Amino acid sequence: MSRASDATANALSNNHIHHRDTSPPRTVSGSAVERGYIEEEREGGGARNGYGYSRGRLTTEPMSLDHSPSPRQAGGWESPGLNSPFDQDHTVAGIGNGRARSPAIQPRKGYGELNGGAGVTWANAKANSARVNGYPSHSSQNQGFFGRHYRKMSQSLPAYFSHGGQEDRFAEKEKLGRGRSSGGGSWGDLPRRLGLLVSRRRKWVALVVMVVMALMLWYREPLRYAYRRTSWLGGGSKFVVILAANQGGGVMEWKGPREWAIERDSVKNKKKYVANWGYELEIVDMSTKKRYAHEWRESWEKVDVIRNAMKKYPGAEWFWWLDLNTFIMEPHTSLQSHIFNDLATTTYRDINIHNPLHIQHPPNGTSGDPNAPQYANYLDPISLSATGDNKPESINLVVPQDCGGFNLGSFFVRRSVWTDRLLDAWWDPVFYEQKHMEWEHKEQDALEYVYTNQPWIRPHVGFISQRLVNAFPNGACGDDLGTPDQGCRFPLTTPAGHLEENVRRECGVQGIHYQEKERDFLVNMAGCEWGRDCWGEMYAFRQLSYKLNRGWWERQKDAFTQWRKPKEDGKTEGGNGGGEGEGEGR
Amino acid sequence: MPGMQFPYPRKSSTPSPYTSARASSYTRRRTLKALAPYILGGVSLLWLLIWLFSGSSTSSTYRPPGTPEVVIVTTIDPKLSESYKKNIKENRQDYASRHGYATFFPNTTDYDLMPNSPESWSTIPALRHAMTKWPHTPWLFYLTGTALIMNPAQSLQDMVLEPRKLESLMITDKPVVPPDSVIKTFSHLRGERVDFVLTQDREGLAGGSLLIRTGDWAKFFLDAWYDPLYRSYNFQKAEGHALEHIVQWHGTILAKLALVPQRILNSYTRDTGSGNGDGLYQEGDFVANFHGCHRDQSRNCEEEMGPLMTRWRELRDQERRK
Repeated sequence: MSRASDATANALSNNHIHHRDTSPPRTVSGSAVERGYIEEEREGGGARNGYGYSRGRLTTEPMSLDHSPSPRQAGGWESPGLNSPFDQDHTVAGIGNGRARSPAIQPRKGYGELNGGAGVTWANAKANSARVNGYPSHSSQNQGFFGRHYRKMSQSLPAYFSHGGQEDRFAEKEKLGRGRSSGGGSWGDLPRRLGLLVSRRRKWVALVVMVVMALMLWYREPLRYAYRRTSWLGGGSKFVVILAANQGGGVMEWKGPREWAIERDSVKNKKKYVANWGYELEIVDMSTKKRYAHEWRESWEKVDVIRNAMKKYPGAEWFWWLDLNTFIMEPHTSLQSHIFNDLATTTYRDINIHNPLHIQHPPNGTSGDPNAPQYANYLDPISLSATGDNKPESINLVVPQDCGGFNLGSFFVRRSVWTDRLLDAWWDPVFYEQKHMEWEHKEQDALEYVYTNQPWIRPHVGFISQRLVNAFPNGACGDDLGTPDQGCRFPLTTPAGHLEENVRRECGVQGIHYQEKERDFLVNMAGCEWGRDCWGEMYAFRQLSYKLNRGWWERQKDAFTQWRKPKEDGKTEGGNGGGEGEGEGR
Repeated sequence: MPGMQFPYPRKSSTPSPYTSARASSYTRRRTLKALAPYILGGVSLLWLLIWLFSGSSTSSTYRPPGTPEVVIVTTIDPKLSESYKKNIKENRQDYASRHGYATFFPNTTDYDLMPNSPESWSTIPALRHAMTKWPHTPWLFYLTGTALIMNPAQSLQDMVLEPRKLESLMITDKPVVPPDSVIKTFSHLRGERVDFVLTQDREGLAGGSLLIRTGDWAKFFLDAWYDPLYRSYNFQKAEGHALEHIVQWHGTILAKLALVPQRILNSYTRDTGSGNGDGLYQEGDFVANFHGCHRDQSRNCEEEMGPLMTRWRELRDQERRK
């Protein structure tokens, strides 16, 4: 019988006997795999490593021990209990303060003496490695927090400390230990020691690995996307962004390269935003919808489009209408955190807070003529309340107001019975027949009209500061008044109030124009087709958004290029893209 | 323990913390395991209770005791004679008192109609007003001032409003405005979902007698119907034509509408147009409507109503004597 097979047989029998304690005895086939498996059950992956190693040693290195080390050599393995702790402290430094509480420690000491002499760290490591097949708890006591707890954990496994296994383990140690030597270089032993380390702290290692993997997965797109999308986690699928492309562009208006560029940029912007937050994006081509041309309601497809989107995304709750000439400046802000998590404070019900149309509010059921005799007010308390029922759940329409009234370039509707009725009542041929000459902005004017004249609508409409969802660039709705130097005293969700410095600035709900300092969420280049430069604005805002939101790495790169080529860079950065944009557009 | 056969001096001192820790963690786990079902059950019960109670508190089905099931609304022109007004009110109050309903008689001039709009428009704010006054009442019954309740024995619930009864009465898949409107009433509509019960006469929808379920839909419907642009549009039959218009143009209104045979709610005493007399009043019908007597200069509502008014009193007194 060769030494190797001898050791194998011994190990096998050992394993077999060991297992008697934990599980019903099993037949041992003698194959390495089986062995490894059995070992692994008790000790984890490291055990197999250790075993393999020692076997390798056995075959390659003709070490002297082809019989069991004599009890005397080992220092009293026949009667280990009588051996004094003093010996251990001397010979095996670092194996727990000499508190040999179990005889299993003894053979290790023996190896140390045999192979390299007492007090050598290498021997010490060797001795530690013997635990691959054995019982880590013995030497890991009092080795800091981890060690102590590790000991507790392993102690709770009954098999280790049952008396039945003791002597057998002892024997196994002997046989396996024979092959070990201190002859090999420390570098060659490194993987093994690493393996040991891992096996010794494997619960902690597993935890760390799990955390690292979770983090990796988190930062990988798909999982994050799935999380953000799921309705009961991130809730992204509850939001649908409806982007109107080719608005107002009919057969008469050919699209030039600038128009294509605008569309490309706008769509890309929304697509990225939606992909980041798990929302739905519905791009609708308004030019193909000419079905209402004969009824003077070309722009009424808005209602149809919203209806279709509601049908198409039955799980969605909020539908966000966006005109094409819009750009999301802060793509890292979610709609939930920006508006919907706290709808009660981000919106206001009482139109008197900001009332450019001077709508009488709350309605009192009369024509509002002060000279008319007093009539009975027939409306219910909620309709008469300036703020409806004050519950954020009852808000079904969120509209910003610019300098001239409602602005439907960016607004939200919630799926509800109320919305269904509103979409139904919004357009009526009798209204339009009488008003189509007056209502320049068609559906926008009509909405203002029904809001003013049909009291059932008001308790469900929330208004929102223009700057929160629909900021205008300078030039739309007058000039940008800027914010006071010290910043706005009140957030955008409150009226600017009577404070002098705020009233005539872009503060509070009256604020209309985009403020770079305050990182407004979205820009709507409303009316840019009337005498302003749509593409120039779009390009400038795109560049600005990139500049504001570039990551750490981009900042470093930009700083580097600036440092390298200060002159050239000065040109491109300083222009802020405006001039260049025009160039690119053409 | 392993140390038993090895009499180390320190042996005795050390095992205790380990064993105790081990035992405690083990027993803790045991108790946790044993208690888990109860904790889980308790939590789910709590959740269920919260869910149940939050649901019931927000639902609109709550009705304070004493709330009438129906409010009967009749708008009264203040220019009419006192006896006429008194008769009309008496007629409705008698019916209401039998079934525990409430009555509401606002004047047609109570509401701020726009100048030049006919006073018949006041029907709509009157209904809205009734809804404000009786916010928990489930149904409003509007009966025009030219009609009398002739058969007060049956309650509106038994006659029309009970969902199964309503389903059996409903006229389905028929043009909303006879004879040839392309918009037809829904062919499948559950009685529970109906919010608006109405009849047709020969010319179109008969708005003289109608039932509306109160709630958000009613607010929407009444406000939409009462829109100033309809009032200023000069519909030939004012609010009647406006009603036909919105019912046909707005699906959310049509979806709540149930048409019932005319004689269930609104029998006419005279045939309008050249009909076969489907909707003519017969003894035993619920309502007798002297339709058009108000508008037609050659007719006098009070005089016309006289015989039936006497008949109604006779029937009432007969019943009282029993």
